[in-house]
Amino acid sequence: MNALTSLLSLLIFPAGLTLVLTGMFYEWVDRKLVARFQNRVGPRWFQPFADMVKLLAKEQILPKVANPFLFFGLPMIAVTGALTAALYVPLVGFAPVSSFAGDLIVTIYLLSLLTLCMGLAGWNTSSRFSLVGATRALTQLFAYEAPFLLALLGPALAAGSWQISVINDYARTHWFAISQPIGFIVVLIGLMGKLELPPFDSPEAETEIVAGALTEYSGRGLALFKIGKSIELIVGITLVSAFYLGGLHGVLPFLAKTLAVLFLMSILQTLLTRLRIDQTVGMWWRFGSILVLAQILLTILLRGGIL
Amino acid sequence: MNIEQTLQRAEGLLTSWNKEATHPESNRLDVVVSDSDLRPAVTALQNGGWGYLSAITGMDLGPDANQMEALYHFCDGPAITTLRIRLPRTGVATLPTIEDIIPPATFFEREIHEMLGFQITGAKSNERLFISDDWPEDVFPLRSDFSIEQAKPVEGRHADELPEEGVVGGNTFVVPIGPQHPALKEPGHFEFTVDGEVVTAARMRLGYAHRGIEKAAESRNWIQNLYLFERICGICSHTHAMAYSQGAEKLAQVEAPARAQAIRELVAGLERIHSHLLWLGVVAHEAGFDTLFMYSWRDRETVMNLLEQVTGNRVNYSANVLGGVKCDIGSEQAKAIKEGINFLESRIRHYLEVVTTDTMFLNRTRGVGTISFEEAERFGLLGPTARASGLVRDVRVEAPYGAYSRFPISAVTETNGDLEARCVVRLKELLVSCFAIRTIVDNLPEGPLATKMPRKIPAGETISRVEAPRGELFYYIKSNGGENPARVHIRTPSLCNWVSVLEKAVGRQLADAPMLIAGMDPCFSCNDRMITTVDQRGSRQTWSWKQLREHGIESYKK
Amino acid sequence: MRIGTMFQDIVESFFKKSATQLYPAERVAPPERYRGVLSYTPSACTGCKLCVKDCPSDAIQLFILDRAAKQYVMEYHMDRCIYCGQCMASCKFNCIDLSNQDWEHAALNKDFMVYYGRDEDIAKHLENSAQPPAETPNK
Repeated sequence: MNALTSLLSLLIFPAGLTLVLTGMFYEWVDRKLVARFQNRVGPRWFQPFADMVKLLAKEQILPKVANPFLFFGLPMIAVTGALTAALYVPLVGFAPVSSFAGDLIVTIYLLSLLTLCMGLAGWNTSSRFSLVGATRALTQLFAYEAPFLLALLGPALAAGSWQISVINDYARTHWFAISQPIGFIVVLIGLMGKLELPPFDSPEAETEIVAGALTEYSGRGLALFKIGKSIELIVGITLVSAFYLGGLHGVLPFLAKTLAVLFLMSILQTLLTRLRIDQTVGMWWRFGSILVLAQILLTILLRGGIL
Repeated sequence: MNIEQTLQRAEGLLTSWNKEATHPESNRLDVVVSDSDLRPAVTALQNGGWGYLSAITGMDLGPDANQMEALYHFCDGPAITTLRIRLPRTGVATLPTIEDIIPPATFFEREIHEMLGFQITGAKSNERLFISDDWPEDVFPLRSDFSIEQAKPVEGRHADELPEEGVVGGNTFVVPIGPQHPALKEPGHFEFTVDGEVVTAARMRLGYAHRGIEKAAESRNWIQNLYLFERICGICSHTHAMAYSQGAEKLAQVEAPARAQAIRELVAGLERIHSHLLWLGVVAHEAGFDTLFMYSWRDRETVMNLLEQVTGNRVNYSANVLGGVKCDIGSEQAKAIKEGINFLESRIRHYLEVVTTDTMFLNRTRGVGTISFEEAERFGLLGPTARASGLVRDVRVEAPYGAYSRFPISAVTETNGDLEARCVVRLKELLVSCFAIRTIVDNLPEGPLATKMPRKIPAGETISRVEAPRGELFYYIKSNGGENPARVHIRTPSLCNWVSVLEKAVGRQLADAPMLIAGMDPCFSCNDRMITTVDQRGSRQTWSWKQLREHGIESYKK
Repeated sequence: MRIGTMFQDIVESFFKKSATQLYPAERVAPPERYRGVLSYTPSACTGCKLCVKDCPSDAIQLFILDRAAKQYVMEYHMDRCIYCGQCMASCKFNCIDLSNQDWEHAALNKDFMVYYGRDEDIAKHLENSAQPPAETPNK
């Protein structure tokens, strides 16, 4: 029975199929919100699903210079990484499917695996645009990864554990958004960098390098990468709201808190211009790191009872 | 100094080489020089600080006259000096280059070389600019004996010979922007050689939307040509029509009534608002600021609806007829215009604030592509791109035409010369236009809408200059007394402004390149006006799905 | 120096109706001067053919069956027409009008030719053109 329930929770609920559908739903909410802010109508509720179906039906064109194993394998690895990362976070308000000490690091690594796969895919297809896009994606990875991880570390330090389910329970009584405000700001903006949302969408700047690292992808490969991205969206938001907005213990709190974070991110997306890659890196390594280090220092001192 | 004195000064500067001087119109001096005296004459005008090179027109006078002419037009305020060089038609007509004296001349020289066959000696590059790479050698489209059978594509060459695939090994490679690219609204080809993210060299090709308009004009009558020229460009269409009508009216010695001229200025003002709002959206989109793009294009709907109410169409208004205008401004239109302009003015002020204070947008525009005053003069820039560097080149101010003497426009300049300054100049110009439009609506002179024009325009030649939203538009119209014009040469402002992109892209980041291209407000349709008929992609075939797919796969594999 | 200068626009738009016109569910009436499809009445025509001469795109042809009895047939190519209105301006007798209601002409087939005139004239003209013409109609 245990094996059956595990399989079910892996494939259907709360990970697997539910995850993919919820990811699409959140992608739709984001697009609809951005459209309403720009005084437009926005897509209908089934648009991301329709996009997926269309892409899966299209032909895949393999570039002559690309290594076919990497070309077809990288999207699958990317989606696998994203799906596995989802197993350790409290999806839809339920306890994580699997949990062990130190799973915070594993989750973040698995999410970065997605970006790494995209960068590799861009290098592999080696068209002029995808090379520039891959370089930018990896440069941006170096920039925001450290501050983002450190910002997630703040609540971990306060809760005294590296296990997500423990932090989630601890956060139930401690709203870190209020007690660690700087960390909250950094983690929110870091999440936008991780998801390559404007203003950090330089790696996929449509007007400069067509589509960045994924320029040469079409059909199934592109569909898989997009699914991976929407899963990353939901996992990232779940992590942020679990840590900073008082833990996720139920379906309603999950919906309310994650949609609130998504709303905030949509507003920031519409308000801000895209940053050039050198400006992104400069900003993160100067302001991002300093702010988050200050926050961590504060947390350590407070916890140690020194302050 | 009035026009008389200005022209006398020019004549004085050119005495040593002057073979024959005439005044075809009251504001023009026409001086015939020999081809060997061209360079000293041009240097004399430059050193004397007389005006700037506005256009170079080439003409084929036909096998009977056995002559070809090259006209070098210099403009100083309302005065125009033309250096006319006559060369025999048989054999090869050679001209020395003047691109070392006047850098922007290179585009004009390449145009007359490709279209008419003038050989330009001493030119730095003889790559093709407008004509496709598989066009046969020694076939010149604008010659009077050109026929379409001559234009067969050369075997084994592509229409667009791109350089080798970018070399990845040595850290530098070539990023192509265009002909198809999300950054470009119309096709054009730019190659940026990048080292990491920094651009080290820039190159460009034009001519992808070449339609054969100058040649087509010779086989249509004067009235039909009005609509042909209007469709050179979608957002400068009224200025093209205005320039042509003015030129034809000058030749026929007919003056459009005051009411018509005022309505022409009003529609031109509305068109300027349309054009600059569109441009603002495009720059915002290139920068990644989609919100500004959406909002400015939403407000552009207001001005397009106004234009539809007044003229009957949102784009390509067809408001002009030869001799006046077609559409009148009644009380209903006047009321709608005033309401629309009030709304637009408040929005434009808001955008001015956004463009000058939004930190993130300024990060992308401040200090990008700075062109100093001296560089602007040297590059021969026109329009708002020049005015942002402090160089006042505005035909409406320097040489008022039509109703602009009655309803004047004040010139708007900035000094910084960077992308931010160009945004500010364009938005402030719109505020000036709004003011002018209101004044015109309140003080519209009474009178008829059009004067009768003869169907056969008397022989002569004329130059008509108007200020399009992108800069000075130059029309040279020659008539032989018939129902069709003999030659119409159009020099659009975007052609002069390309140098700024090429020079300024080098040394900056790749991300700035689309912004620089958008910053000079290029109008590719205005640039390309000649035919490239038979090529692989342009030929009239209906392809079956299978053929199209195969073609796609074939060209993708290359 | 501010961040988020368009914040007010964004917040307002969230509560306003969108600026998109939901065509074809919502249709805004075109203004009075809008230039749509051409219509021709032969009753005032004199057969001067200025409209044909001045059309920039060869979209109209006028066939004169009988000038005294005002039997004219106009062939109008809807696909060649650029809706410029020059024919309307050239005609001194107001025979030509560009409608402002009839402008939705997306079609699935390519028969875009329209004939204007009295029915019997059109029938006679079609009969004539089925046989080889005696003289080519001049432009």
